[in-house]
Amino acid sequence: MLSELKELWRFRELLRQMLARELKIRYKNSFFGFLWSIVPPLLQVVVYTFLVRGVFSATAKNYSAYALCGLIPWTFFQTAILDSCQSLLANYGVIRKIYLPREIIPLSYVLSNMIHFVLGWVVYFAVFAVILRFFGLGIPLLPSMLWLPVIILVESLLVTGLSLWMSALNVFYEDVKFLLSTLFSLMFFCLPILYPADVVYYSEMIQRHPWLYKLYLFNPISGIITAFRKTILEPESPGSFVVRLQGKPALPMDWGMFAATSLISVMVAIAGYSYFNYKKWQFVERP
Amino acid sequence: MEINTTPTAKYEYAIELRHVTKQFRIRHQGSLKRAILGAFKPKRIELFTALQDVSFAIPHGQTVAVIGKNGSGKSTLLALLARIYRANSGEVILQNHQGDRPQIAPLLELGAGFHLDLTGLENIQFYGALLGMTQQSLESKLDSIIEFSELKDKVDTPLRNWNDGAKLRLGFSIAVHTDLDILLVDEVLAVGDESFRNKCSLKIKEMQNSGKTIVFITHELTAAERIASRIIWLSQGAIRMDGDTASVLEAYRQASREGTI
Repeated sequence: MLSELKELWRFRELLRQMLARELKIRYKNSFFGFLWSIVPPLLQVVVYTFLVRGVFSATAKNYSAYALCGLIPWTFFQTAILDSCQSLLANYGVIRKIYLPREIIPLSYVLSNMIHFVLGWVVYFAVFAVILRFFGLGIPLLPSMLWLPVIILVESLLVTGLSLWMSALNVFYEDVKFLLSTLFSLMFFCLPILYPADVVYYSEMIQRHPWLYKLYLFNPISGIITAFRKTILEPESPGSFVVRLQGKPALPMDWGMFAATSLISVMVAIAGYSYFNYKKWQFVERP
Repeated sequence: MEINTTPTAKYEYAIELRHVTKQFRIRHQGSLKRAILGAFKPKRIELFTALQDVSFAIPHGQTVAVIGKNGSGKSTLLALLARIYRANSGEVILQNHQGDRPQIAPLLELGAGFHLDLTGLENIQFYGALLGMTQQSLESKLDSIIEFSELKDKVDTPLRNWNDGAKLRLGFSIAVHTDLDILLVDEVLAVGDESFRNKCSLKIKEMQNSGKTIVFITHELTAAERIASRIIWLSQGAIRMDGDTASVLEAYRQASREGTI
């Protein structure tokens, strides 16, 4: 794997060009351009806030800050993997004719999504930690927010590994792309994105079998979203999301769990890259 | 051809193939369903041998034409040289004059690597990087790339509006301006109109004179006669004949008349 990384480093200029091209053409023919990266998630938040507050009568103050804390990492996770999944077939003409470290292609899609991901956090903090605070809304600054770069790094490793893995698989089985998009739309409701993991913790089944909660957070993306929430926001009782749980205390940040999540993410990154390297010479040998 | 392995000849060859065999697995339409069902069946792998025990060496600065009928392994050979495929067995050794990894520029078929929504200039940037050019060398050569392609009035417009000839010209122009050691050409020498073709021939001459190694596939024997000093004749994945242009062409034409190619 070291020699593969060295080769990748030799081609860093090409990776930069690919990334620049990917960012350039994404909104090339659209009138609103970059706004398409910002406005849809904001509209999503408006709808979810209506759903959770209006329909399920949650009382959490600042629910939009809460929801975005899950939506930003989730959007990165989902779009980066789906984008890179089709990337090799979309650039098939190039890899069939020119030598290049083939991982450059999915990686350029991961990186372009990563840039949007980081920009998403910049906007998030600008809005909630600066602008809205002038109006007495927003979120207070916490020392634990300093963990943000670490969690971003862990998620980036996870996403890179899965993207390489899935993009290589998708060359041989195009079902993978469809399977993933189905899976993601279901996971959106099962994972703690619109609600905190604490709500799941207090559910009857998990109170009877506490190890199930560990299993629930074992899925690294749940662990990462939960880590973002617990470090960026003040503890919020699950009671303000589900009336039945009023008075229950919020769970503290579980650092042991986060260490496990980080370890899994590193392992996924290594496994994904190894699988990609194992398969990459066969990509063009499709009949 | 005899392979010279004396130490003094270490960097003599730009390209060296030692007993190279390339086989393809014939895979039938891949789907997850088939893969899952297939897991319970005994594996039956069909192999297709595209090249069988091929050995030759090309010294620096030589221009070699590869001929043979369709399916004789010409394109597979070129793809091995471009490092698109890995050989199943044997060795493919590519070197520049210093014995380092050479810069290889493949001349691509129409459109591969270009993005239609980007302008000519943006495509030059990207395509140049794809062929291994650094930012500085690209900038210093930008003017001559544009001038050579005769597309000055078009480079600021998206490729979507270009005709095929213009795209080919741009591709050719970028490829020949890279700092290449080895040029690989797959049947695309017939680029554009008469005057541009002449310009291409001149450029190829110039590259030959400056010691670049060129390998090209062709069906046009006259092109081989004009440009190459050596011809490799492939037949059913093996070298049928390898020698100077005149003698291989004579044998090839003879076989062609007798219908034994």
